[in-house]
Amino acid sequence: MSHETPIRILASTSATKIIKSELNRRRFLALTGTAAGVALLSACSPQAGAGSSPQATGGALESGLSIYSWGDYDDPDLVAQFSSDLGPTLTFDSFASNEELISKLIAARGTSGYDIVVPTGPFIPQMIENGLLSKLNLDLIPNIADMDPAFMGRDWDPNNEYSICKAWGTTGYVYDKTKISRELTTWADFIDAAQNEASGKTSVLDDPSPLLGIYYWANGIDWNTTDPANLDAAEAFLTKELAPHISAFDSYPGGAAIPQAQQILMQSWNGDARIGIMESDEPDRWQWVLGSPDTELWMDNWAIAEGATNPEAAHAFINYVLAPDASLRELDYIGYHTGGAGIENAARSAELTMLDLVFFNAEQVKTMHTGKLTEAQQRIVKIWDMTKAAAAGA
Amino acid sequence: MPLHSRSHQKKYARPPRRVKLPSFFLAIPAWAWLFAFFVAPVALVVWFSFGYKPGIFGTHANDVLSLDRYAEALSPTFFATFQNTLWVGVAGTLICLAISIPFAYWLAFKAPVSRRGVLLAMVMIPFWTNFLVRTIGWQIILAPNGLLSNGLQSIGLLDSPLEILFTRTAVLIGLVYNYIPLMILPMFVAFDRVSLPMREASKDLGAGRWSTFINVTLPLAKPGIIVGILLVYIPLMGDYITATVLGGAKGNMAGQMVANQFQTAQNWALGSAMAVVLVLTILTTVVIAALVSWLATWPVRARQRLVLGGTS
Repeated sequence: MSHETPIRILASTSATKIIKSELNRRRFLALTGTAAGVALLSACSPQAGAGSSPQATGGALESGLSIYSWGDYDDPDLVAQFSSDLGPTLTFDSFASNEELISKLIAARGTSGYDIVVPTGPFIPQMIENGLLSKLNLDLIPNIADMDPAFMGRDWDPNNEYSICKAWGTTGYVYDKTKISRELTTWADFIDAAQNEASGKTSVLDDPSPLLGIYYWANGIDWNTTDPANLDAAEAFLTKELAPHISAFDSYPGGAAIPQAQQILMQSWNGDARIGIMESDEPDRWQWVLGSPDTELWMDNWAIAEGATNPEAAHAFINYVLAPDASLRELDYIGYHTGGAGIENAARSAELTMLDLVFFNAEQVKTMHTGKLTEAQQRIVKIWDMTKAAAAGA
Repeated sequence: MPLHSRSHQKKYARPPRRVKLPSFFLAIPAWAWLFAFFVAPVALVVWFSFGYKPGIFGTHANDVLSLDRYAEALSPTFFATFQNTLWVGVAGTLICLAISIPFAYWLAFKAPVSRRGVLLAMVMIPFWTNFLVRTIGWQIILAPNGLLSNGLQSIGLLDSPLEILFTRTAVLIGLVYNYIPLMILPMFVAFDRVSLPMREASKDLGAGRWSTFINVTLPLAKPGIIVGILLVYIPLMGDYITATVLGGAKGNMAGQMVANQFQTAQNWALGSAMAVVLVLTILTTVVIAALVSWLATWPVRARQRLVLGGTS
């Protein structure tokens, strides 16, 4: 039994790399078992095709398109218009963090059924390396010319081969002025209010990095730190001093928490805060605060998942939303800068509401820092996990 | 007929041979189903639980086997969540029991027969709506400026808004509401099958209402009650939707912790270990509960034992 029988598999070249690395002897049994089950299930579904990624060439659009994105992240009217203009019907699914997106794509190994995914910048290089994203055919996306060069070619994808900016934003918080009478301005104020007036009525983002960010930003520590001492300190602070006061881990307080006044203090992304305040019956009750002295700058990007079954429609959709008009409508709906050229002037002349939560001046942007995916990632996720458990136990 | 031709050769005539499959053939589809969708996945989960997470983009590896994931799953921070889950599970089941027994009894014996269909439908109808939608409905009812809070404040029972959403109490309310039909229905069937002549005989022999209930009705309905308890307790312990929607951070349950490992942390090894701990917790508590109730009723059973043909 010492010699190994070579296994021959018919697969697309892009998939062979993953398959080879996955197919060690131990996993073979597990895989064949799963494969039998998957084969059984996929016999019932029309769109089987493990790992095969038909590259878009500008052919006819498929009839469907499935998007796996952040919650409430596209203007429904615009989406409906795309469907009626060009045909494909869209299906949406949402995630709360990049980790959630990646874990689903990894588990499915190219059969997730998602066409467009919207990862945040720092996660892109490793997603490419692990074969989770497929290359864009930029010839099919001519509207890329309408993008502001400032938001193109970021270090995670210098030539925009795999991704194009979808929106960028930052992290801050919203508080209830009827319950907190003093003025809050910094992350230290956030922590102080959480431990006092807003204790038991405070929500934080259900996303590992910005959760640790609260501690790092408040204490002037680089939030991309990999120093174990900093991570230990963050863990001790979050699980012991902040967790007892947390009442929810909510990435989208704008959806229900702000309109229904469920919490007093909520860590929030700027666009989501804007949606929540706009939908509240008493918008004056809520105050948005940009996190300071430092905070996050994140940029989410349009990308196409490896194994996408509707690549033509996916390219057509990305191209559709990059057009200046569509871009402005997206901005108005989601409340985030879409990276389109001249969109700030367009938004101001269209007199859209609450633009102070969408556009930031140069001085503010200077305090915002892009995250990095480091070797501390697993530890960061673990701290987030422990904070959740600790919040329940308190 | 061949039978005749053979009958003179053999002493005993045998019935004609038929192709007869072993009787377990009938169970093969069920076994296949059970194996593919229960035994195999559970075995995989147990197998994964001895492994570890190899890196950011790997979910599990089993080349080094250890019990470290169990140690991690039972570390104080995560253990508190298991305790929380157990508390919610036991309290929820007891509340369901306290509501279901009288209700099922009333439905089976006291409610007018002509209305019974309508009453059963009323128990069932909420089930026709999606589980998640019903639970989100409770979020609106229980919110500090929701229906319940405003109602209680307007009739003067409360001075300030009701602060119940995102607490363990809210989870408990949601769970009891979501799972109670699963307890009422088997109990109703069980009570309904206790025949009237039995109860009448008990009364004829001089037993009072309580005595009849305790000594005749309840023991006869016991299988249904046990089914009801298990049907509620087991899914309730593993529930994660209700806890996610109504519990916020405070109502965190083991189901959510397991889901986090698979959905976000991508740590299948730890998630599997947590799942195994959860299953073991459920099994252990069920065994303990069965043992306790067996021991507790032992004196009664000993006293009432009837020995037929005995000398006394």
